[in-house]
Amino acid sequence: MNLRIIASDFNASLKTWKRSKGTMFWTIAFPVLLILIFGAIFSGADEVTYEFHVQDLDDSDWSHTFINILDNISVVDIKTVSSDENITAFIEKETLSVALVIPGGFGEAIDKSFFDEEITVNVSFHYDPSEQGSSASILRSIVTSSLQEFNMQLSGGRRIIGVDQISTITEDFDFIDFFIPGMIGFTIMTSCIYGSIERNTKFRKDGILRKLLTTPITRAEWILAKMLFMLFLSFVSTLVILVVGTLVWGVSLHINLFMIVFMVVIIIATSFLFSGIGMIIGRFVKEEETADMAGGAITFPMMFLAGTFFSLDMMPEFMQSIARILPLYYVNEGLRNAMIYTNIDKTIFNTAIVLIFAAIFFLVGVFVTKWKED
Amino acid sequence: MIEKDVRCPKCHEIVTFSGEPGERLTVTCPKCGAQGKVTFKKSTIDQDYAIEVSHLKKIYGDLAAVDDISFSVPKGEIFAFLGPNGAGKTTTVEIIESIREPTMGTIRIFGKDITSSFNEVKEKIGILPQEFQSFEKLTVKETLVYFSKLYKKRADIDDIIGAMDLKDNQNKLYKNLSGGLKQRVGVAISLVNDPEIVFLDEPSTGLDPKARREVWEVIANLRSKGKTVFLTTHYMEEAEYLADHIAIIHKGKIIAEGSLEELINRYGKGSLLHIKGCKTGNTVELLRENGFNATSKENGNIAVTIGHKDRLLEVLSHLRHKCVDYDSIDIRRPNLEEIFLQLTGAKLSEVKA
Repeated sequence: MNLRIIASDFNASLKTWKRSKGTMFWTIAFPVLLILIFGAIFSGADEVTYEFHVQDLDDSDWSHTFINILDNISVVDIKTVSSDENITAFIEKETLSVALVIPGGFGEAIDKSFFDEEITVNVSFHYDPSEQGSSASILRSIVTSSLQEFNMQLSGGRRIIGVDQISTITEDFDFIDFFIPGMIGFTIMTSCIYGSIERNTKFRKDGILRKLLTTPITRAEWILAKMLFMLFLSFVSTLVILVVGTLVWGVSLHINLFMIVFMVVIIIATSFLFSGIGMIIGRFVKEEETADMAGGAITFPMMFLAGTFFSLDMMPEFMQSIARILPLYYVNEGLRNAMIYTNIDKTIFNTAIVLIFAAIFFLVGVFVTKWKED
Repeated sequence: MIEKDVRCPKCHEIVTFSGEPGERLTVTCPKCGAQGKVTFKKSTIDQDYAIEVSHLKKIYGDLAAVDDISFSVPKGEIFAFLGPNGAGKTTTVEIIESIREPTMGTIRIFGKDITSSFNEVKEKIGILPQEFQSFEKLTVKETLVYFSKLYKKRADIDDIIGAMDLKDNQNKLYKNLSGGLKQRVGVAISLVNDPEIVFLDEPSTGLDPKARREVWEVIANLRSKGKTVFLTTHYMEEAEYLADHIAIIHKGKIIAEGSLEELINRYGKGSLLHIKGCKTGNTVELLRENGFNATSKENGNIAVTIGHKDRLLEVLSHLRHKCVDYDSIDIRRPNLEEIFLQLTGAKLSEVKA
């Protein structure tokens, strides 16, 4: 392995990138634009309403007051669930992502709390832990802030009413928190697939691969140099997306060793994964334009189906099943759990899946890519 | 044991004989039965030849793209591999460059079989692939630096830029260069490791006449520096202008080989005399009656094929004796186009793959 050759190739790729307005656009400007556009759309939440199923097992004045507070929030559309229903069965039957239960004794506990500061009461926020959708995050955030307001009205700030969450997630999340990790996965996917396609179609057509075959550079050195450059691009894109997301929209980023380690691992694996897919496309679709179209045919459906922009729970069941066989879904989920939700189990699970996909696609890509002509 | 390709002086068949260095053998041509002696030089062949190709074959399905060809390229010469598009030129050169695998046959570069020692050979060769386009967003100088860093042995980039007359364009992006300049950069790239053999595959295809002439000057200059040049081309003028040795390939087979002089002497029908603007009637008949191969052309022009130089004087003498009036006379020897026509029955420029 000749480091001089690898450094020289990396340097040439860097110069080419800096001079390619198109590539710069797709790796930096495009994700920034999408973040700004989508962030603006979903921060103007007045026009968005979320159905929120509430079961009032208390049916007291206090419970009615609390429900009114929730109902007065413009984005929330309260749907009452009969007290006869088993809430877990109801959630399953109606395929709901969230529901709130006000327990019996809610009003009585509040009345008593005026005389006994030890008394508190919890409402139950039910949600499907397998769904990390934006609606669940937003409604949880709304319930939390409504409770704060209610507590403030009741006791000047003392916590009388709390929330029992049926999950480990305790943060408030916005759409942008959901969107930013997806944007990172999507940007790495497009730059790696199209970069790989260019190297395997345009460079072949232009005779560059034939030329390199007759020079001392080995395929391993060439691939390593290109992968180092793709990793560089992936990290640059990630950094830009995180900086813009944090500064403009205040992404709930968790900067800790756990997040950094897994983010780095997922980004590296993702770069190898999609470079491998690009190699496979470039091997079998030799015309540059056709290969670009083939790249588009793979990236665009994957972008929408793999939960990049929208939560999977907004899709029909069969489309959710499709999403679960797409590598980008695991990239997005891995990044979300590492960066935002800090869910260790899910991060490890998704990272492992991404690593397996990366190993398979990259090795197949290297195996099928030929420099030699027939 | 070494091999030597010998052309039979009687039937012109190329036959490969094997023997030990220094050995002198009596051999028989398998085609016509003629006998002769072949001496295998004491010095090994690799000291004389830069490239040796022996019984090379490349089969695609039912098609023999390269059909059992053998030839050797002497060191320090420009070797032109001439043939129409689809004749097998690029397939052959790309097999020599290890870009393609042969179906059978052996290739030696500086005496070393490339199947086992191509990595070693890479440092000694420079290649301009057919229709090569370099990295669009690198400047000329950056491109040359990039490729030179791939090698252990490196030529001075500024010297190459100067020699290729690229100084004024060295900081231009490759994509902004004209076709001629791009080809010059391509040749320059093939020189970054100061190679001993330079392979140029159709280096002037697609260029206008001026740019083509510029590229020819660059190639001619390589010979003066002692480089061996393997040139594939379908332009007969290019081969005539540049080559010390020419191999004509047609339908995967080498149909003629030698210097331009040798090819003309061997396959040309003689010189061609053009009588332009002939104003005297029945001159063609007059010449034919005297045994000359004369044909009438447009505008009173007459073409006469001259087999031997003495016959030229006889034609002129007849014209004078019969007081034939004409505007001018020129004489030229046959070119490769006519030789190709003679050998294949088709014009080189008109043959399609």
